[in-house]
Amino acid sequence: MLQNIPIQRKLMTVNLLTSGAVLLLTCLAFFGYEVLTFRQATVQRLSTLGKIISANSTAALAFDDSDVANEILAALKAEPRIVAAGLYGTTGKLFAQYPVNSPASTFPSAPEQDGYHFERGHLAGFQPVMQSGRRLGTLYMEYDMGAMYEQLWRRGEIAALVMGVSLLTAYLLSRTLQKQISMPILALAETAHAVSKQRDFSVRAVKFGEDELGLLTDAFNQMLAEIQKLNATLEERVRERTGQLEIANKELEAFSYSVSHDLRAPLRHVDGFVDLLRKQSAEKLDDRGRRYLDIIAASARQMGTLIDDLLVFSRMSRGDLRRSKVASESLVHEVRDALQGEARGRVVWKIDSLPQVEADAAMLRQVWANLIGNAMKYSRTRDPAKIEIGCDTVNDEFVFFVRDNGVGFDMQYVDKLFGVFQRLHRADEFEGTGIGLANVRRIVSRHGGRTWAESKVDGGATFFFSLPKTPAETKG
Amino acid sequence: MAVLSTFTNRWVDYSLKMLFRGWFVMSVLLFASGLDLRAQTTREYEVKAAFLNDFAQFVEWPADAFVGVKSPIVIGILGDDPFGDSLGEIVRDENVDNRPVVIGRYQRVQDIKACQILFISQSENKRLEEIFAGLKDRSILTVGDFDGFTKRGGMIRFVTEKNKIRFRINVEAAKTANLTISSKLLRLAEIITPGKD
Amino acid sequence: MAPLKRILLAEDNERDLELTMAALEENNLANEVVVARDGAEALDYLYNRGKFAGHANGFPVVVLLDLKMPKIDGLEVLKTMRSDSYLRHIPVVMITSSREEQDLIRSYELGVNAYVVKPVDFQKFVESVKQVGFFWAIVNEPPPGTMKRSG
Repeated sequence: MLQNIPIQRKLMTVNLLTSGAVLLLTCLAFFGYEVLTFRQATVQRLSTLGKIISANSTAALAFDDSDVANEILAALKAEPRIVAAGLYGTTGKLFAQYPVNSPASTFPSAPEQDGYHFERGHLAGFQPVMQSGRRLGTLYMEYDMGAMYEQLWRRGEIAALVMGVSLLTAYLLSRTLQKQISMPILALAETAHAVSKQRDFSVRAVKFGEDELGLLTDAFNQMLAEIQKLNATLEERVRERTGQLEIANKELEAFSYSVSHDLRAPLRHVDGFVDLLRKQSAEKLDDRGRRYLDIIAASARQMGTLIDDLLVFSRMSRGDLRRSKVASESLVHEVRDALQGEARGRVVWKIDSLPQVEADAAMLRQVWANLIGNAMKYSRTRDPAKIEIGCDTVNDEFVFFVRDNGVGFDMQYVDKLFGVFQRLHRADEFEGTGIGLANVRRIVSRHGGRTWAESKVDGGATFFFSLPKTPAETKG
Repeated sequence: MAVLSTFTNRWVDYSLKMLFRGWFVMSVLLFASGLDLRAQTTREYEVKAAFLNDFAQFVEWPADAFVGVKSPIVIGILGDDPFGDSLGEIVRDENVDNRPVVIGRYQRVQDIKACQILFISQSENKRLEEIFAGLKDRSILTVGDFDGFTKRGGMIRFVTEKNKIRFRINVEAAKTANLTISSKLLRLAEIITPGKD
Repeated sequence: MAPLKRILLAEDNERDLELTMAALEENNLANEVVVARDGAEALDYLYNRGKFAGHANGFPVVVLLDLKMPKIDGLEVLKTMRSDSYLRHIPVVMITSSREEQDLIRSYELGVNAYVVKPVDFQKFVESVKQVGFFWAIVNEPPPGTMKRSG
C-alpha cells in the first residue's frame, strides 16, 4: 500500500505508524493495569469497611437490636459511594439497613454466598458477621463504581491527550528528521531525472553527508563522470570515423566516375570494331569466324550491362533519399504494365489493395520492377503463371510480398539470394546479372525495412519486404 | 447470560420466599389467637436464655475467674429456674474462647463455686443484699429481671420495652467485680448509676 | 540533296573518333564534320585562331562535345561558349560515356542542348548518331550567322 507514494511521505508514515502503535499499546497496557488495580483496591477497601461495620454490629445482632444496627450502618454516610448496606440475621431475614428509608427491594431478599462481585457499574457482596468464631449474621454492601469509572474515564482522556501531543511531536520531529534521509535521495532522483530527460551528463548530485547515501551519491556522480568522459571520446571517435567515411565515399565516387567513363570506353571499342570488321570482311570469314565475332560482341555488351548495373547499385547506395508519398498500388500497376510486354495474357495477376507509403519513388519503382520482373522471369515456364501481390500490416510495419508459382529455389541458398552478383540459376536458364535483389535489399534497408524470401524448389517463391509506417530519418 | 440467569434465579427465590412469608404470617395469626399468657412467658425466657449465653461473648473476665485455660464458662441460676429446658438447649455445643458453656443451678449463695454468669431468679428478691454480700470480690456477672435489681447492686437487668427485651447495665458494679463489658454491649444498654434508678 | 551544315566534333580518343566517324559516315554526315582533338582545338576553331587561324569558317550548326578531354574538357568548352555573346547560341550536344548524374546536371546547368550517352552496343550508337545528326544538321533551324553549305 506504501509502494507508490513519495519517499518523504513513506518515511513519515512509517515513523508515525510505529510510534502510534507503541503509544497505543503503552496506553492500553497502562489503562488495563489501572482498571485492574483500581478494582482490586476498591474491593479491598469495601471489605475492610465491611469488617469494621461487622465488628461493630455483632452485639446489635446478638441482642436483636435493629435500631442500634441501623445506627451503626448509618455511619456509612461518610462514604457517599456506598449506596446500600444491610445486615441479615442468622435466619436470613433483613435486620437492619442503610439508608433506613430505602425500599426493601433495594436489597437481596436473602444473603447469598460471601464475597464481592461487579455488576452493572456496581460492586456488591456479602460478608460474614462473626463474634468469637460464631456467625451472627451477614453484611451486604453495594458500592457505586460510577464515580470511579468517571475517574478512569478522565484518566483515559488525559492518556488520549498525551497520545495526541506525542503523535504531534512525533509528526513534527519526523517531518524534520526524515529530511536527513529523503533530501539526499530526492536530490539524487532529481539529478537522475535531469540526466535521463536532458541527456546532460555534466550535472552532479549534491552530497549531504558521509553515510551510505553519501556513498551512493558519490558512486552516482562517478558514473556520470565516466559516462561523460565516454561520451566525449565517443563523439570524438564518431567525428573521426565520419571523416574517414567521407573520404572513402569521395574515393568511391571518383572510382565509379572513372568506371563509368574509362571502363566502358574499351568495351565500346571492342563492339564497335567487331561491327566494323563484320561489315567489311564478313565474306572473308567462315561460319566459325563469324560466330567468334558474335561471341566477342556479346561478351563486350554483357560486360557493359554488368558495369551499368554495378553503377546503378552504387548510385542506389550513395544517392540521397528523396522521400514523398507514394501510392504503392498504382506504382505496382504501372510497373507491371511496363514489364508485361510479351507476357501479356500469359500471367494471371492478383493484386490486392496496397497502402500509401513514404519513400523515394524512383528507388521504390526499382524495387517493384526487380521483384515483379523476377516473378515473371521465373514463372515463364508455367501455364498459367500466377503472380500475387499484397500487403499485411504487422505492428508498425507494412509487409509487402510478391508471390509466384515459378521454379522457386532451394531454401538452403536463401542467404546468397540478396548478394551482389549472386545467382541461383545459370545464365542460359534465366538471364540476368544477379544484381537486382541486391539492389532491392539495399533500397529497402535504406528505407528502414527488411527483405526476405520463402520458396521450395519447383514450388514457387514469395519475396517479402517491409517498410516502417512512419519512416525514421535515415542518413542518405 | 450469567447475569440474566442470576437474575432469574433470584427472582424465583424471591417469589418462593414471598409465598412462604405469606403462609407463615397466616399460620402465626391463626396460632396467636389461641396463645395464652403462659406461652408468652415461655417465649420471653427463651430470648433471655439466649441473651444470657450471648453475654459471655461481650464480657471479659480476669484470668483468676477460671480454674484453668480450658475451664468451662458456668452460667448459674440462683433460685427458681424460669428457663425450663431452653437454656440447656442453647448452651449445648456452645463454645466461647475455647471454653465450653455449662449450667449450674444453686439454691444458696454458699453453693456457688466456679461461676461466671449468675442469673438471680425473682424468687431471691428478698435476699438480694445478702446474696450480693456473699458474692463480694468475686468476678461474677450478675443478671436479673425484676425491679430495682441494678439499683440494689446487680449488674445487668432485663427489661421489656414495647414487646422487646432490652437491658440496663450497672457499669460501676461490673467494674468493682473486675469485669470489662464490651462497648458494643454497652451501646445496646441503658447505663445505670446506682441510687438514680 | 538537302543543304548540309557544318558540324564540329571534339573527341580526344582516336578509336572513339574512328567509331564516331564511321557512324557519321553510315549516316552520310561525315563530309560536314570538322574534328578537334581536344577542348582547346575546339575553341581555336570557334575563335578562328591557332591551327584554324585565318579560315573564317563561320559557325557550325552543331557542336558535338566529348566530356572528358585533355587540356580543356567538354564542360569547360561549353562554359566558355555560353559566356561568349557570339557563340552562346550555337547548339551543343554532349556525346559521352558518362551516365553519372553529376555530369548530366553540370551540363544542363551550363546550358547544353542535348546529352547522348555512348552505349557499348555499336549499332545502338550508330542509331543515336543518326538521330542527333539528322535533327541538328538537317531538321533544326540554326541561329542566324551560321555557315551554310550545300554538298
